[in-house]
This record gives sequence, C-alpha cells and structure tokens, in this order.
Amino acid sequence: MASQEDLEQFITRVTPPEDFTDFWNDVIAELDSVPLEPGTSPVAIRSNDGVNVHRATFLSLGGLEIVAWYSVPTIGDGPFPAIISFPGYKGEPSLRRDWGRKGVVTLTVAVRGKLRSNSDFNPGYPGLLTDGIESRETYSYKGVVADCLRGVDFLLSRPEVDSNRIYACGSSQGGGLTLITSALRPEIQGGVAGYPFLCCFPESMQLLRSYPYDELNCYARAFPERVSNMLETLRYYDAVNFAGRITCPMAVGIALADEVCPPETSYAAYRALAGPKELWLFPDSGHGNAHEYPAKETSWLEKQLGLTSDPRLT
Amino acid sequence: MTIRDMEPESFWDSLDAQLNTTDLELRLEHDDFYSQPEWDVYRMHYLGLGGYQLFAWLSVPKGQGPFPALLRMPDYGSVHDLIYTPLRHRAIVMNATHRGQRHSDSGFQAQYPGLLTEGIGEPESYVMHQVFADSLRAVDALLDQVQWEITKLVLYGAGLGGSLALAAAARRPQVEAVASDTPLALGHAEVLGQSAAYPLAGLSDYLRVLPHRREAIIDVTSPLDPVKIAPNVSVPVLLSLGRRDRGLCPISIGEELATQLRDCDLRVYDGSSEGGGHEHSKIRGDWLGERLGMLQ
Repeated sequence: MASQEDLEQFITRVTPPEDFTDFWNDVIAELDSVPLEPGTSPVAIRSNDGVNVHRATFLSLGGLEIVAWYSVPTIGDGPFPAIISFPGYKGEPSLRRDWGRKGVVTLTVAVRGKLRSNSDFNPGYPGLLTDGIESRETYSYKGVVADCLRGVDFLLSRPEVDSNRIYACGSSQGGGLTLITSALRPEIQGGVAGYPFLCCFPESMQLLRSYPYDELNCYARAFPERVSNMLETLRYYDAVNFAGRITCPMAVGIALADEVCPPETSYAAYRALAGPKELWLFPDSGHGNAHEYPAKETSWLEKQLGLTSDPRLT
Repeated sequence: MTIRDMEPESFWDSLDAQLNTTDLELRLEHDDFYSQPEWDVYRMHYLGLGGYQLFAWLSVPKGQGPFPALLRMPDYGSVHDLIYTPLRHRAIVMNATHRGQRHSDSGFQAQYPGLLTEGIGEPESYVMHQVFADSLRAVDALLDQVQWEITKLVLYGAGLGGSLALAAAARRPQVEAVASDTPLALGHAEVLGQSAAYPLAGLSDYLRVLPHRREAIIDVTSPLDPVKIAPNVSVPVLLSLGRRDRGLCPISIGEELATQLRDCDLRVYDGSSEGGGHEHSKIRGDWLGERLGMLQ
C-alpha cells in the first residue's frame, strides 16, 4: 500500500507533446463539423415519481451514434443544473436517478464501444486500450474523448439545462475522462474524478500487472518494434497532460491500495490541476471500493450546485 | 402447479436433464497476445442450454500440472474479462461468461439494467434460468477438458456471480469450496418493492409498470433464491455482506442465507454492494489460496 509520502515523491516522466494543443484543437474542429442531431425518447420502465428517464442520442466523431441515459426531474420547469457522468473501462454507464429528486439533470454517456454505442465500433474489453494505438489519429480514445465532449454539447442543446451549471464526474476510466473533458470544455464548472485511470501510462504499465494497463504490456510484448509509437500516442491522451489546463474546482479521490490505477499516478494528475482542488485519500481501500467515496462525491457536488442552500430542494 | 410449489430439486433436476441433452463441443484456442511469461491464456468455447455458444477465458500456469483450479463466476455486467489475480501463477483460473455477456452474445445481448427481467413473462423464456444453467455448464466444461489434471476446484463470485457460485456448488459435487461476495438475492420475495439500487431495482421498475405481475415474478424467480439453494451447499463458504447493500444482497437476506449454509464463514462490513472492499479482498485471497492448497 502506498503512503502519502510515496505519492508526493513520485515524479512522472510524462510531458505533453509540443503540438498537444494544436492536436486537440484539430480534433474539436473535426468534431464541430459533425452535426449533433440530438434526440431523446422516453423510457417509461426506468422513470419514476422523481425523474423521467430518456434514451438520448447524438452524433460524434466519424458520424457514430452515441447513446446515453438522460434523466430529467419531474418537478419544476428548469432550467436545471446538470451532471454529466462518464463510464468506467468495463462497466456500462449507470442510471443516476437519485439526482432527479434534488432538481438535477443527469447524463451518463455510453461512449463508443459500450453497449448501445457499439454497432460500428466494438474492440471489446480487453481490447479498447490498444485499439489503433499505432497513431494518435487512429487511437480508440480519440473517439472516446470526442464522445464525452459531445455529451456536453448535448446538454448545452437542451432548453431544460442551465448551461452555467454543468458538472462532471466519474470513477476509474470515468475519472480520467472527467479530467480530460473538463480541460477541453470550459462549460464544465467543476468535477469529481475517482480513482482516475489514463494517468502516467509509462509508469502505470510498470507499477502493476492488472488490466487494463497490462493490455499495454501485452501489446509491447507482441509488437516490440511499435513500443515507441505506442508511447508517443499515449502522450496525447494522458490525463496528466490535461490536468494543468483545468481551472475549475475539482475533487480527486485516491485509494492508497489501488490495484488497478496506481495511486501515485492519480496523485500526479491531482498535483497538476491548476484550479481549486480537493484531495480525498482512502488509506485502506482498493480500486473503486472506498466506503466513503460515494457520499463524498454526492456531498461535494451538492455543495458546488448550491443544493443545500436552495429551499426548493431541501 | 407453479414453480414455487415444486420441490427445489425438481427445478434443478429438470435443468440438468436439459443440459444433458446437449454436447459440450468444447474447443480451446491459445491466445498468444494475452498469454504471460508465467501462464498461458486460452479462449474456451462450449455449448450451453439449447445449443447456445458460450465463452470463457482460461489461464494455465506454465509447467507441468496437476494444478488446482479457481472458477470465477460472472457478475452482473456486460464484461467478464481477464481480471488479474496472483493465483494465476499457480492455479488454473477460468473466467466464465453467461449468455448475453461479451463473447457470449451472438444470440442475445444482455442490457444493463434489463437482464433480470428479460423474458420474465414465462418460465420457459426467462433468461436468468438459462444464465444459472450456463454457470453449471462452465463447471462441466472445466472438468471436461483433458489437457490438464485438476486437483481441487474452488468457485468465486461477487453479486450475481456469488449466487451462481452457490448454485453450482449445490449441484456439482466436485466443487470443494466457495467464496461468495454479496450474492444477488434474486428470487427472494423480500427484494420486490424494497430495492432502491440496481441490479435488484430492475425488478421494482418492472413491477411499477406491471404491478399485477408480482406473484408471477415471485414464482418464476423463486428457484434462484440463494436462501433456498443454500441447504444443498455442503462445502465451506466464505460469505461477505455489506450492511448498506440495497441492490444485491440486503443484509437481512444475507444473514438468513448464512444460517442456511452448513459451513459458513460470514464477514459483515459497513459498505454496500462492494461488501468488504479492500479489507475483504485480502481475506478472500488468503482463504482461496488455502482452499486451493497454495499456502506455503
């Protein structure tokens, strides 16, 4: 188990490529050329007294249709604050109905490769982390990140959403995507990244033997001649390289016995954050299983959203 | 007569009789990409109920056997992949999928939420009966392969996998121990209407739209109730529960389950569906290692 001292002493060798900003500006421009074509259809079986659940759809990079759970409070006319949530590596995006009764819209995005968003792109798990990794242009996560950005665009297209009160959250891969999306979309006012994945790829490959990072080691063993290309591609997608561009408030949760995302690497992302930030360390917890984490995430987001001071919502 | 009125053994005997009518047609493919210096990885293909094509990941330590074997039953989720465990160094580890999960989805793609109520209108079409049959089939496939001699067979599962592991232990005498974390309480009448979290909330969703189906749901799910399965589990069970669990195994049901198991080491934690989290993962690792005969 890592100590706080271990985290503070860890210095990553990851640095952004010189054209990092240009690359992502080009990706965003490419994405802007794709019409959003937002749509919603009600899902009665998942709706309840507090929330109407919809199947949301929108187009993303390459014209792929991306699907999301979109939950809208039944009480009030809005505009409502919103939380966009990003999925973990293997898991499907969960329904976040609990926020409906608090007057908050939620969007949980099934990025490409997830069920319902995988008809044209389906590398599988394991598989996603190395798909197209030979180049920054073909790498799977170019599309995955674009899908997250498009989720924000979807929220901005909705009249019932308060565009000045959009927050982000996610755990594991969802934590990494929260950092990356918050860096690329200034409309996000703050976020919570739990046990963030996608941080310090070269060191993560060496620190642990567990998947998903070990997929990179499998790739390196199979294609030793491509390792330098792989590592160069990953510099464009390393959440640490995005963290310094995030100026909104962020909270980062780190489990010191994390056996999937090395705590040192998550801490490197936290340390690089440029805005107000809060660190939650969980000494006796592993990946995704700190008992206190869900309540801390909820409490932090409620505070940012000002829910406790809004008499309509108490 | 409803399913609920049947002796539990009749349901399971019928399921096994149906399984016996289908050949396994087991195939193993070596996976060069995911094999490691210390173990080889194989893709297992075999047939389940109704000739359904099923898939599992299998890792086998380098060197000559025989080896103990750990079968990891799938949880409620679309992916059951090559989870790292240090046990892979010295034991055969099988990660079996059930129908609807990735690699076992050529005929049916499970939805989340949605799996627990898929085809629930009739016993013949209820997919969870087939999912439990798939877990029995996974044990059969592992024992049917002839390339490696297996000295001991231990099962592990969390959530849905925890219940699948208990059911397989009740039906397959070759199983020597089970570690079950927060086993899904599907089939227990108390979960209807009180489940606020998924996956069990999927049943509440269904009843909100079709409230007249309540008795029918109790009937069709009842054979899968881990509390009813437990008396037929004679091997040691390490059972973990979370006091705040509302979506998998509410604490009252879990404690009832523990009383029905003959040899149960019950661990209760303050968490929710994750059971004991990191603390329990260490306990479980040691417990499995001991049961597999791998302690130094």
